[in-house]
Amino acid sequence: MIKSLLEIKGLFKNFGGLEALKNITFTINEGDIVGLIGPNGAGKTTLFNCVAGIEKPTAGDIIFNNSEYIGGKKPETVTALGIARTFQNIRLFDNLTVLDNVKIGRHCRTRSNFFGAVLRNRFQREEEKAIAESANHFLEFVGLGGRGEEIASSMPYGDQRLLEIARALATEPVLLMLDEPAAGMNLTESRNLMNLVLRIRDNGTTVLLIEHDMKVVMGLCERVIVINHGEWLTEGKPEDVQNDPKVIEAYLGTGAADAAKAG
Amino acid sequence: MSKLSFKNVSNGDWVRLSLLVVALILPLVPFISDYILHIIILIFLYMILALGLNIVPGFNGLLDLGYVGFYGIGAYTAGLLTYHFGLSYWIIIPLAFINGAIWGILLGAPTLRLTGDYFAIVTFGFSELVVLFLSNEIWLTRGPLGLPGIDVVSIDLSWFGGPKWEFVGEVPYYYLAIAMVLGTVFVMNRIQESRLGRAWFAIRDDEVAAVSCGINLLTYKVIAFAISAAFGAVAGSFFARWVTFLSPDMFKFWESFLILCMIVLGGMGNIWGVMVGALVLVSLSEVLREILPLVGLPVEVRFLAFGAIMVVMMRYRPAGLIPIPAVAAKMKAGIIKRKRAKAPVSIT
Repeated sequence: MIKSLLEIKGLFKNFGGLEALKNITFTINEGDIVGLIGPNGAGKTTLFNCVAGIEKPTAGDIIFNNSEYIGGKKPETVTALGIARTFQNIRLFDNLTVLDNVKIGRHCRTRSNFFGAVLRNRFQREEEKAIAESANHFLEFVGLGGRGEEIASSMPYGDQRLLEIARALATEPVLLMLDEPAAGMNLTESRNLMNLVLRIRDNGTTVLLIEHDMKVVMGLCERVIVINHGEWLTEGKPEDVQNDPKVIEAYLGTGAADAAKAG
Repeated sequence: MSKLSFKNVSNGDWVRLSLLVVALILPLVPFISDYILHIIILIFLYMILALGLNIVPGFNGLLDLGYVGFYGIGAYTAGLLTYHFGLSYWIIIPLAFINGAIWGILLGAPTLRLTGDYFAIVTFGFSELVVLFLSNEIWLTRGPLGLPGIDVVSIDLSWFGGPKWEFVGEVPYYYLAIAMVLGTVFVMNRIQESRLGRAWFAIRDDEVAAVSCGINLLTYKVIAFAISAAFGAVAGSFFARWVTFLSPDMFKFWESFLILCMIVLGGMGNIWGVMVGALVLVSLSEVLREILPLVGLPVEVRFLAFGAIMVVMMRYRPAGLIPIPAVAAKMKAGIIKRKRAKAPVSIT
């Protein structure tokens, strides 16, 4: 039976007079790889921010796992529930090592505190060992194994994107939201990325991704949701969406849509 | 910080170990006078203060201009407890720690929601408030007259039939100060390598990414502020029992600024850098105090010298004398640039 993992119902988000999201409604099922596309300024990242708890929706519901109403919840709560994300403009902890970046991802799944840190009791030592082990595991998983001692900000751009994914995975998400993961990647890198996303899904994590690279979207997503000017435009299989006149119009304007119809 | 085994001791550890040995035998050297010891104790005191303050701007990236407020609270609390109740210093240390932490939470919990400069202004106001309280609540603190006659530290074994040994002169305080610095460094080192430390570094580097990793900003900032304040208060308690006299103008804003300068000079966020910063600025201050009158300048000119040093540092070595490893690595690779402006959450 198909189980819905994330339901968004009538979501609105206003920034002052600007309506960034208008009545967005869609559902993401467990085990899917769903693409969220739309022209620049369509509201894709705002939608991510609302789900992740960084922005508070003006109205509407975001329902996670059928029961949790997460709209307006704090980001750390949302992360603890099992939603992780990456950022469009990479946000790593620049002054820390690659390994420490991933270790911080383990924060919400670990417990030791000030007293543990100072006394270094048995619980803390074991937890610290487990943190290091799983951080290394996730680095290995995204293909950055053995590079834990490098400084995050001195890595190449493509590797920084992978590191962000490793850090997000370290929070053990049920739903992983990737904001333009392939931006700035070359052909080989984006092919590796597609492979990685498939492996993430096969490990049981549902993926929602914003992407402009159509090769990546077409190659990965089973379903694509299109939004434009903050409104839900259409959704469906990638091939259908690609040829939808409404979508072509949104991206390229009316003339192009007419030309596509004629052609 | 692994177990002591001589096989795994790195070069840096050898340097630190030999520095410690030098520090331990220093009072035995004949030409070391009490005056010099006094200044070295002052350096140690400021090391504790700088290490404590370092948690807030160095580990968490928050500007704290009111640190001296906690120092003052710690000093006066210790002074009054000794004056009225004759409490032993060994009981006062943990009390000062808890007291400082409580004040840190009281100030931090409501104000740490503020960002950047607004928070700095609140902390500044707090330290002024402490000074005003100390100078005006005469019934408690004797105000500007100061609080004289605080007992010196003593080791009292009379309960067990042993002797009572009072700290006379600078030498016992010297060793006490070393022990306290070592304790502080130990705690800082352990925090730095723990989940707590990593959470702080995450907050420093990127708050939005930190919350997305499940770190509760307010909680962790308040913890940072409380621990920082606790070390400030412990340093204050040492100060009270060492100089045995307190007055409100020892805790003016200038002190906060001086400690902040030590951190910036030494290398914000780096434990060893911060200690070097304290060493440089305190000794420079004392040297200038001697030299300036000789060339016919008032002693206050040394503040001008500190200002000049800070300007030069900001121009040529903004990350401090001993920067944190990541910045040092980037400087080595020659790719250090002005810190990238953090883009606000994009709404695309």
